[in-house]
Amino acid sequence: MTLRQEKVIVIDPSKCVGCHSCEMACAMKHFGVCHPHYSRIRIQEFREVNTFVPVTCQACEDAACIKVCPMNARIRLESGAVVTDEEKCIGCRACVYACPFGAPVIHPENGKTMSCDLCMDDELGPWCVKACTMQQALKFVDARDAARAKGRDFAAMLKEQNEPPHQDDADFSFSFSVE
Amino acid sequence: MHGWKGRRLRLDLTNRTYEIEPLSVDYYKKWIGGRGFNSDVVYHETYQGMDPLDPESPLCFGSGPLAGTFAPLSGRTTVSCRSPMTCSNMDTGIHGHGDTNMGGAFGPFMKYAGFDQIIVKGKADKPVWVFIDDDKVSFRDASHLWGVGAKKATIKIQEELGDPDVKVSLIGPAGENLVRYACILNNFSSSGGRTGMGCVMGSKNLKAIAVRGTKPITIARPDEFAKLAWALRDKVHNSPSAIRRKAEGSMDLFDVGNAIGINAHRNASTGFMPGIEETYGGLQWAEQFLFRRKACWSCPVACGRYTLIKEGKYAGFSCGGPEMESVCNLGCRIDTYDVAAVNVLCGMVNDLGMDSVSAGAALSWTMEAFEKGYITEQDTGGIRLEWGDTETSMKVIEMIARREGFGDLLAEGNIRVAEKLGVGQDIVPHCRGLEHISVDPRITMGFSLGYAMSTRGSDHLKNYSCVEFPGCAKSRSYQVEEIFGPEGAKKFWEDFPKELNELDTKPVLCTWSEKNKCVADLVSCCCQAIGSWGGAGTWQEAYYPLLAAATGIDLTPEEVFQSAERVINIERAHWLRDGSGIQDDTHIDRYFDEGVHDGPFKGMVIDREKWAWAQQEYYKTHGWDELGFITEDKARELKIEDILPDMESGKKIIRQWLDSDKKAVTPMFVPTGLRK
Repeated sequence: MTLRQEKVIVIDPSKCVGCHSCEMACAMKHFGVCHPHYSRIRIQEFREVNTFVPVTCQACEDAACIKVCPMNARIRLESGAVVTDEEKCIGCRACVYACPFGAPVIHPENGKTMSCDLCMDDELGPWCVKACTMQQALKFVDARDAARAKGRDFAAMLKEQNEPPHQDDADFSFSFSVE
Repeated sequence: MHGWKGRRLRLDLTNRTYEIEPLSVDYYKKWIGGRGFNSDVVYHETYQGMDPLDPESPLCFGSGPLAGTFAPLSGRTTVSCRSPMTCSNMDTGIHGHGDTNMGGAFGPFMKYAGFDQIIVKGKADKPVWVFIDDDKVSFRDASHLWGVGAKKATIKIQEELGDPDVKVSLIGPAGENLVRYACILNNFSSSGGRTGMGCVMGSKNLKAIAVRGTKPITIARPDEFAKLAWALRDKVHNSPSAIRRKAEGSMDLFDVGNAIGINAHRNASTGFMPGIEETYGGLQWAEQFLFRRKACWSCPVACGRYTLIKEGKYAGFSCGGPEMESVCNLGCRIDTYDVAAVNVLCGMVNDLGMDSVSAGAALSWTMEAFEKGYITEQDTGGIRLEWGDTETSMKVIEMIARREGFGDLLAEGNIRVAEKLGVGQDIVPHCRGLEHISVDPRITMGFSLGYAMSTRGSDHLKNYSCVEFPGCAKSRSYQVEEIFGPEGAKKFWEDFPKELNELDTKPVLCTWSEKNKCVADLVSCCCQAIGSWGGAGTWQEAYYPLLAAATGIDLTPEEVFQSAERVINIERAHWLRDGSGIQDDTHIDRYFDEGVHDGPFKGMVIDREKWAWAQQEYYKTHGWDELGFITEDKARELKIEDILPDMESGKKIIRQWLDSDKKAVTPMFVPTGLRK
């Protein structure tokens, strides 16, 4: 098995504000209507503590849904996205149960499953990511950088916590050298 | 039907029945959306002199054609009814139109369930809550929820239904106990605060309405709609004011307001609070208290806050909010620098289900009344409220919500408190019984005129425009021509910068802004996006193309604008029917006589002569007569001729009062020559 070269959607729940714009964008893109059930990305709300978790297909390297599907209906596209072939799908939901995130969702009209296709080759990129421009809870990054970005964020947080106060005194080095 | 759902739901709590009423395209064209349907129903299904707490008085939840769609900023819901809080200054028993606009996600979910509007009538024999599951409606026992705070009650309902995505609109203990300024909350902490909608909900013994909806909203021209929505989203994403609003929340206005000296400090008697950088500053506030932002449905900005107090006496306290208006009224207005306590007060007020503006005003009135010696501990049952005393304030807030002791009196709203005690009428800063928000009306005349002329009592969300600030006028210069016309715009720039406290341009400005904001309410979009931070442009740039693409209806911008005017007029007519006209479109004497105590605009007052001129000018721009009544021509033009007989009977009441020597409840300026 080799590392894929494609781009993936990475999520950062700590930045999600629960506006559901991504859901609206997804439903609009794929169905031309507006309703969260028509979206392939779902925001799981814990509004009592103001915590929101975007759940969407992570296009896993070693995808459980592909393995478990009795009809071989879960297929990987060239873009790296894992989607359901509706012709083959029988709506048994095995992929939902096998997925550690429960990411595949039920098509509200035909009962089959559906999951993120990264908006295929839309020039705007994945609509959900674009809808999250301001909050940056969703990002569309190179698969190889997916982990690096998170690591970098964490490191930056540590840096901020342990940084000495800023030295704005420009004369500091000068006075040092004089001594 | 696209955009709209084509139906509304009528709930009858007395008989525990419901009815689904289809609506015609003509009806939608006439009233457009949430606030429009509501105002129509509230006017036509109430009558002159009706008690707002009468079981048959309708309580309406309305959402517009863009609610719940991909259009950004579209998560708003309007709640309207005859208001128990607002009243005429002739007589506190005379009520009129009341409405409030809340964020959250209730409106979108009403539409997912298939309804553009929910009308609640009747009174349940014991506490109930209503569950709307698409077309199925069930009335459920709420005895275990009675007396429970908003947050806990929402969790209980969601647990009972086993669905955390159900949207719940509910009242807190204040609404149950009929506090006149009780609010309605949805999505835990998005509240529709003003004019006492929660009180009406409580009077119907209705604790909550929960909605689950599974039906999508269809769009007439989806491709065009998506393109337009993206264009508006991009505009918002790149707007510097939106980015600032995201970082600081609406608290970004606090610093600005204080620097100019317009924040209602000490019961709105002064406008300036010295040394706030370390406490109330927008970024400072976010750094100290912001746990995470929260957003209304489909809003990319997320100005909503969720607060966590990290250290000190109140460490560990968390709550939804507060936004700037709550902070100003429960902090600046009662003159405290203990900002952690202000957060706690805001959280308490939300959970108990009260309007933070009126609650803050009740506290600050009491404080000033004590200072001036109007009242003593004998009147308050031993409680003494001094400026900045947050701990006693918390106690009093709790007492108001439970209607215990002195709180029972304060729960009536300042104007009735002053009336009952017979003192302190001169220090109630109000229009039509509703206390001012946190801006001093003596300095910025746009606010001043806006407060007095608003169709729901003192309020800036109905007709205020920031264009009166020189900085804003510059950054929105393209709007100036639209507002004043080519000639007027030329004069505007010749005189620029006009002082904030000049009334000259304000009647035209407020009238324009009134219709602008009304359209935002009609389509269920955020009026701040075209108002206070304004990154979305005017309604015509921002919302009209989306409205046309979503509904596919052939309304011109002029027709939509006229619908907005119709809505404003029917709300106004509601007041006029009960005899509240010119004598209420004004301010208390204090703002004409007593100068601002402090700040850059020290000593400033409203000029009586200019005020009388502005009042008449405002009527003229609306096409109303000299008493502020809607003329026959105007009514015919707007196709609301049915209000004309009501105008006549309203005029009788007002003339009777003007000809009598009956005193006004609070001393207010009535233009000379009107009264003998």
